Amino acid sequence: MNLLPGWLPHSNTVNLLAGAFLLTALLVASRRRQLECVSALRANAVALALIALTVSSATHTWHIALAALLALVVKAGVIPALLSARARRAKADVRSIVSLPAGALVCGALVVISFSQTRALFGTREDILAACLPVSVAVTLIGLFIMVTRRQALMQVVGLVLLENAIFLAAVSLTYGMPLVVEAGVLLDLMAGVAVLGLFVQRLEDALGEADTSSLKGLKG
Amino acid sequence: MIWIAPLVLIPLLAGLACLLMRSSRWMPRVALAGAALTTVAAVAYATRVVRGGPFLSAGGWLHGDGLAALAVLVAGVALPAVIAYGDSYMRVVRELEPGDAGWPAGRWEALIFGLMACIMVSGVANNLGLLWVALEGATLASAVLVGYYRRNDALEAAWKYLVLCSVGVALALFATVLLYYSAVPLFGMGGAGMQWAALRPVAAQLDPRFVKLAFLFALVGYGTKVGLAPMHSWVPDAYSRSPAPATALLATALSAVSVAALLRFFAIARAALGPTWPEHLLSLFGALSMVIAVPFLLVQGEYKRLLAWSSVKQTGFVLLAVGLGTPLALFGGLLHLLVQSLAKSLAFMLGGTLLRASGSRRLDHCTGVLTADRSLGTLLVVAGAGVAGLPPAGTFVSEWLALAGGFAGPRPVFAIIALAALAAGFLGIAFHWTRMVMGKPRESFRDPMPRRSRAPLWTLAVLLVTLGVWLPTPVRALIESAMTSVRP
Repeated sequence: MNLLPGWLPHSNTVNLLAGAFLLTALLVASRRRQLECVSALRANAVALALIALTVSSATHTWHIALAALLALVVKAGVIPALLSARARRAKADVRSIVSLPAGALVCGALVVISFSQTRALFGTREDILAACLPVSVAVTLIGLFIMVTRRQALMQVVGLVLLENAIFLAAVSLTYGMPLVVEAGVLLDLMAGVAVLGLFVQRLEDALGEADTSSLKGLKG
Repeated sequence: MIWIAPLVLIPLLAGLACLLMRSSRWMPRVALAGAALTTVAAVAYATRVVRGGPFLSAGGWLHGDGLAALAVLVAGVALPAVIAYGDSYMRVVRELEPGDAGWPAGRWEALIFGLMACIMVSGVANNLGLLWVALEGATLASAVLVGYYRRNDALEAAWKYLVLCSVGVALALFATVLLYYSAVPLFGMGGAGMQWAALRPVAAQLDPRFVKLAFLFALVGYGTKVGLAPMHSWVPDAYSRSPAPATALLATALSAVSVAALLRFFAIARAALGPTWPEHLLSLFGALSMVIAVPFLLVQGEYKRLLAWSSVKQTGFVLLAVGLGTPLALFGGLLHLLVQSLAKSLAFMLGGTLLRASGSRRLDHCTGVLTADRSLGTLLVVAGAGVAGLPPAGTFVSEWLALAGGFAGPRPVFAIIALAALAAGFLGIAFHWTRMVMGKPRESFRDPMPRRSRAPLWTLAVLLVTLGVWLPTPVRALIESAMTSVRP
């Protein structure tokens, strides 16, 4: 698995990239400007695609390489482009029901919990799984946390995409990728999903002045 | 392939034709013909499954089995009613309803057909990944339908629906990955480990820890899509704010394929972990959905919300019945899935007519329907019987069977909870329904829609009552075949 030169003895490529994946997710959770969050999301997707490429070259399964390229185009290209076009127009900073430092602390706790619990369930293993699965669970939880706490519709979409990235990582690291048709279908759905969500963010902006979902509380009972 | 391809191709082609024909005089007829042909294809598919047993198709990507046939039949029966009723309804909406989206002619029909194609693919998918892809596609298409009106309430409902169901479906993808992973030792990487029909017979050899985790994620994920408590909070908003024909499709066809998807994970979990744990979990969440709906059925101001809450209760009952753990309860539960979809599509579309006739969503603005309009009043009584589970509606029979099976099974406590929730829900529905049907009508109460909008409603009502007094042998064989999918 060690594709890096020997002067990095105790690490390997996948571990490093998984670390980058986790850190960019934490970056999404802690940035104040919406545009910066989208940039961090793009970096997150690039790390994801690189992990998939590494897995593909290590296991010689070329359909994962294709899936990685697709992911690079969709998750690091199209989706951040759609989101940053929206984020650029939104002047407001990220509004959260938990303050950003406190939220970052919660995310740190989520990382600790997912590492310890995944260990408990899957045991300590020496393959790709060992590095990626806890990271994937942690980023799933971080994505959910962002979706629950952020008040802007756009940031909820960012949280959702982060969550989907984490599940994609789980698919790559657990099973070395799903069948290519399924992978492509998943990415296509995600792209269509972000387009539809973007449409609704636009409509929320038009209707409410700014897409702050905390003013959506007309329906009860 | 010959049995499956028409299920998907007919809606796709019909949708495309509607989009291209726009406001041509022939467009409604083409739409109706496409819907009717889809029903024929669904019936043919179900017949093939009942006569010839399960089969694989398209290299294992698609298949036919009882559960798929049941879901496909529910979808296929709902579609012509939705298209025929929608033709009159959307025409009236364009003139009367504030905030109409003003779509060009044909787009509505095309979206309904596109949604139906996604629903059919997820119904007949054997590959669990394909099932997921199709169900996510259906979620996106239906979100656009939920947010049809350009109003803040519809926007709120659609946003809630989209965000909650996207998260739910994402978790279901994790469940799919976990199940696939649990099969790697058997099939190897990239093997048949994602195909349900291949996983099913070897379920006992799968790693139980991962199957358990996969079932939990599927229960939360597809459970959100089904509207299972506590992930049900989108249901009352989405069902009450979308146009009536769209609601009817969401509450029947989409709900049925989501239930089928959840039951596929359940069937594998049941075979891998033994019946007790998965059944218990399913009953628990089903009972929770039923109990949570009761207060909202008793105290409710809007009839479409009343129907939405009763829909949470109904799907909860289906899953509870499956979890009761006896063949009779399973039979009742699966029959309920079929029959309640007739009742729901009738009730939701009738709700649309009432909204147009009274100009209000409120229950207390809509009184004396039987005096004001005899045929509408009769339909309302039948729909009420269907929703509340009273004879002669078919829902009575299915609830009766499921409960009878439940009392004989290992979890009579859940049967008692279900019975109590059904009784309490019945009180609420009966109270509101009496006020709507009886009493003095308002002066302004008048149905502005053409008479032909009643034809699909009458068809559904007749089907609902027929299944209450007579269970035809093919339907019985279909339910029995669906039972073998869930417990061999």
